Amino acid sequence: MKFSPNVKVRREKRGSVVFDTLREKVFVTNETGARIVEGIEAGLSPEALAAQLSAEYDQPAEAIEAEVRQFIESLRSNGIALTEETQR
Amino acid sequence: MLDPAMSTGVESPIGIDDLEGPLFIAWQITSLCNMRCHHCCEDSAHLMPNEMNRTMVLDLCRQIADMNIPYVAISGGEPMLHPQFFDVCRFFRSHGIALKVETNGELVTEEATREMARLGLRSVQISVDGATAATHEQLRLKGRWQDAIDACRRLVAAGVRTEIVFVPTQFNIRETAAVIDLASSLGVFGIYTGKLMRIGRAAKNWQRLCPSDAQYEEFFRVLRQKTDQYLGRMKVYYYPYDVIEELRVRVQTPSASLLVIPDGRVKLIGPLPFICGHLAKHSLREAWDRYRKAWRLPQVRDFVAQVVAKPSLVSRANDWIELY
Repeated sequence: MKFSPNVKVRREKRGSVVFDTLREKVFVTNETGARIVEGIEAGLSPEALAAQLSAEYDQPAEAIEAEVRQFIESLRSNGIALTEETQR
Repeated sequence: MLDPAMSTGVESPIGIDDLEGPLFIAWQITSLCNMRCHHCCEDSAHLMPNEMNRTMVLDLCRQIADMNIPYVAISGGEPMLHPQFFDVCRFFRSHGIALKVETNGELVTEEATREMARLGLRSVQISVDGATAATHEQLRLKGRWQDAIDACRRLVAAGVRTEIVFVPTQFNIRETAAVIDLASSLGVFGIYTGKLMRIGRAAKNWQRLCPSDAQYEEFFRVLRQKTDQYLGRMKVYYYPYDVIEELRVRVQTPSASLLVIPDGRVKLIGPLPFICGHLAKHSLREAWDRYRKAWRLPQVRDFVAQVVAKPSLVSRANDWIELY
């Protein structure tokens, strides 16, 4: 899974800005969201992303994965284009 | 985790003070133009004195990339007349920066189209100000409607995301629906429009150009209808506010963008006369810091209040006042 080419991400002091340049809409994430966004940019699958964050935050992978999937769904529902290209 | 606040344009749901840099650069790369449009918001025609040279132009590109600014729009004048136009485009695209080109389309040749397609631009925006040659050419002196239409066709055929911009005036507002239908028949991605701005040459010709309230009422009715008609097929985007309403909002929530004019000065916003930086003297990062501070200056806030009270003052937007 990756962002479409016209979606640009920039790290900020407290999270990330996700800018859909095609629709000219800007979204902001908090710090946890920024980590997920970085994983998406790296082409990680939700499972791989959850495993990574689970180790970092010392939380059960299942709970983290649910949050990751919810976050990805909120990206999609806000119209931020994601492709299915994935690397594990 | 995802802020539900969503905004149009390049407004950011977080304030400009919390951003490391602008999210968008509107770069008027030259004032030179091959047309003399009555409604030009820049009064473009000839080169502006001291336009940035090649070194400054390429240095600005590098600074934009260094600041990780995600999105740039290049306009003019006619940007394709600039000798480094394609160098600039290539630089931005090779650095992953989304790029929109705003052109009158006259120089969008077969060769230029191939290069634009190869570069993967975010979009090319062509000005079409009438559904007929007569109307378009009445407003866009020295322009040829057929050239603009041919440019759209070439770009669409080459797979370049193409947009049309239509500026309503007394001369062409009756053709709004027809222009939108034309845009659809050309297969473009979207059409942009909004109220005429009282700046540049348009301000000088304001009495002849400005549509009446009744014309605007019909204009927006048509836009709402066409938005529904083309939903899911073509984006019909219109900005419902005029310059005064825009300023009222901007003084409270400035946009996360910088407007760079051809000589390297950085304007606070198109409809205000304030210059907050000069790239011959300041880095882009310094200009961004100055921009953020400038919006809080009493001089700026008082001027906006005066413009809101007396909208004709916006015609002074190009009587520049330097804030540094």
